Amino acid sequence: MIAPLLDVRGATVRYGARPAVTGVSFTVEPGSLLALAGPNGSGKSSLLRAVIGLEPLAEGSIVLTGDPVDGLDIRTRARRAAWMPQDEPAGDNVRAAAYVRYGRHPATGRDAGSREADDGAVTAAMTLAGTAELADRPVWSLSGGERQRVRLARVVAQATPVLLLDEPTAHLDVGHQLDVLDRLRRLARDEHRAVVVALHDLNLAARFADRIAVLARGRLVALGPPADVLSPELLYEVWGIVATLRTDPRSRLPYLIPELPRPLDEGPVRSTPPRPRVHLVAGGGSAADLLPALLAAGYELSAGTLPLFDSDTELADAWHVPTVEEVPFAPLSDAARDQTRRFVAACDAVVVAPFPVGPTNLANLTDLVGAALDRPLLLVAHTPGTPWDFAEGAGERVRAELLAQGGRELPGAAAVVEELRRLLPQPRTTSRGAGAPGGRLIDRPPREGGGGSIG
Amino acid sequence: MDRGIPPAPARTTPRSTWVFAALVSAAGLAAFVVGSAAIGPVAIPPATAIGIVVHELTGGAVGAGACGSGVDPAQCAIWVEIVWDARMPAILLALVAGAALGLSGATLQGTFRNPLADPYLLGLSAGAALGASSVYTFDLFAAERGLALPAFAFAGGLVPGLLVYAAARDGRRSPETLLLTGVALNALFSSVLSSLLLYNPAGNVPLSFWLLGGLGDASWVNDALVFAVVLAIGAGTSLAGSELNLLQLGPDVAQSLGVDARRTTRRLILLATLATAAAVAFTGIVGFVGLIAPHLVRRIVGVDYRRILPLTALGGGAFLLGAWDVAQVVVPSVVIPVGIPTAFAGASFFLYLLYRRGGVGPRSERAP
Repeated sequence: MIAPLLDVRGATVRYGARPAVTGVSFTVEPGSLLALAGPNGSGKSSLLRAVIGLEPLAEGSIVLTGDPVDGLDIRTRARRAAWMPQDEPAGDNVRAAAYVRYGRHPATGRDAGSREADDGAVTAAMTLAGTAELADRPVWSLSGGERQRVRLARVVAQATPVLLLDEPTAHLDVGHQLDVLDRLRRLARDEHRAVVVALHDLNLAARFADRIAVLARGRLVALGPPADVLSPELLYEVWGIVATLRTDPRSRLPYLIPELPRPLDEGPVRSTPPRPRVHLVAGGGSAADLLPALLAAGYELSAGTLPLFDSDTELADAWHVPTVEEVPFAPLSDAARDQTRRFVAACDAVVVAPFPVGPTNLANLTDLVGAALDRPLLLVAHTPGTPWDFAEGAGERVRAELLAQGGRELPGAAAVVEELRRLLPQPRTTSRGAGAPGGRLIDRPPREGGGGSIG
Repeated sequence: MDRGIPPAPARTTPRSTWVFAALVSAAGLAAFVVGSAAIGPVAIPPATAIGIVVHELTGGAVGAGACGSGVDPAQCAIWVEIVWDARMPAILLALVAGAALGLSGATLQGTFRNPLADPYLLGLSAGAALGASSVYTFDLFAAERGLALPAFAFAGGLVPGLLVYAAARDGRRSPETLLLTGVALNALFSSVLSSLLLYNPAGNVPLSFWLLGGLGDASWVNDALVFAVVLAIGAGTSLAGSELNLLQLGPDVAQSLGVDARRTTRRLILLATLATAAAVAFTGIVGFVGLIAPHLVRRIVGVDYRRILPLTALGGGAFLLGAWDVAQVVVPSVVIPVGIPTAFAGASFFLYLLYRRGGVGPRSERAP
């Protein structure tokens, strides 16, 4: 096994009594790019600052190319790790080449070794960062993207085995974001450097990082290849977002599609079990709004019967919602219908999505007749003018029957959630302050009057 | 070694240009110095004054008499005394004290990343003057006055120096805080200084000398002493040029580039205080030299402190000498304190800087 260039062992950073980073451990091997992810204030910047010795460690150790950071003098540290902060005074009136040359200070310093070697390193770094043609421009005249790449060149010119970059894609358009990360990854692979990048954009992290380390409230809650680390639960519990994760068929890498967030001040859902159960009848993408909305509102869901390979099925699977599934365009099997009836019998409310009804899935509606009399039955209205009944009027008839037996028709997902809140016990507790989301992945101190956690 | 990398970008200014510029400025400065010898309340023909300087410099080898032919020898003796024993020491003191104040200003501006920092505005000069003047008012170390003065000035300047350092260390404070702290310290130390001077038990020091500055106490020995300090500090700060450059990126980035920001800052503030003390001990409070000189130099050579520092020493000296020339002639038959013309020019420039940039921000120098 290759010795890591950076070995963080139980690092703890405190600002006064307040912990910013608590017991974080990971290693970064030569040639690999690690993305540090986590919500604002989760300790990413503090951790990077600790690695270059700007924050003292309260506990643990950080080993930089073989030696503990706190034992190294400042110049030696600067020869081993380069750091690009989120923002810095830019040295406005300096020419870009002179600015990049600042990165040579640790290597040569005042005893300016060989001027040609410095020139060479500066030129090479500027070429690598795609800024060679900016050499004579004063820094103040550069655009945001140019300036960011010139800063990158400065860090590269430092020629350190370890590079730490705090939000290097901030202020960049999507093209420059990809460009900068691609350059960083090539730098890691081609020159066997260890690169650590604090990133907010998880899709970029998944695309470029060999591994992702997820921090929440200063603790490491997940570490590994993007495909292993990113999950809907993690996104929900760390960032408080409901998102669908897909796998890009070409790169085989995960990417996420976030749903509309809950208002931030509401904070994450913290329901006390047992939560009200809602059964969702859907199909053909009709649950795209409903399912995330119901999850976000804190209900425990079941769904069915859904056609296999349907986007609703995918969404439900991604969230580990128990579903009954059936081969598409085939009549619902008895087994599937039985399972769905059991779900309906066990739930506190039934929600019917505006799915297209045909002869094969008509049973989804007919099975509800008489079955859901004792609990709320909410039907989301179809979009007027959009054909949905492909069962020669049977769909319309059964739907009318359901409405006649007490079903209520509502305009959309928001109205459904509102109605459920009125009809069912509140699934969420409201006792939380502003701050980072909680959840079972996060080691959270017990709190008076606080709710339980998810799952 | 792999030489596959493209050649480095060409340097914008060739070395020979700098050599040429240095020669021209040296010649200009020499002319300035010798020409200043002719300026003063006692009218001495310029050619004669210059002749006296050349005569004395060359040990009397040039020309028959110091004043040339046709001058009464008694008159000539007086002129020689005025030019060589009074004006030349003052002129050289203006050069070295101006250099010290310029270096101090450039160092403070770089260390605090604040283009409006200056030993006078930050109260360092008042503190140093308080320290130095107490050598007179309490009649201390009469025998070793030449050394006691700068030592006490340094001790006095250290107090506001450290207070300003403490005010600047907290990065969250705005640049205005630093300047206002300086203004307060300046007022504080000036008030103590004024009280002390008015109390003045030894009764031998003019108030105006300490408060407004003067070069009248100059002697060749003083000049040599200040010159030695300036050389030492110049060497010390010039070595720090590249570190000052990196400090402009903020203490954290500087540290990530191998500069011990805290220690460098402390060292530079000590050096700036020492430079201020060396000047103030022999000239009293001469304001604004440290503000103007770095700005003028920056206009010419840009933002590289490795160039700014040595050139600011030159510029500060030239500026103070110019102020001395003005002070000699602006009021007929009276030599006004040299701090008056520097303050007039400096305060106007200060206002210009304030309003041109529309704020006191440290990095607002960029184009709008």
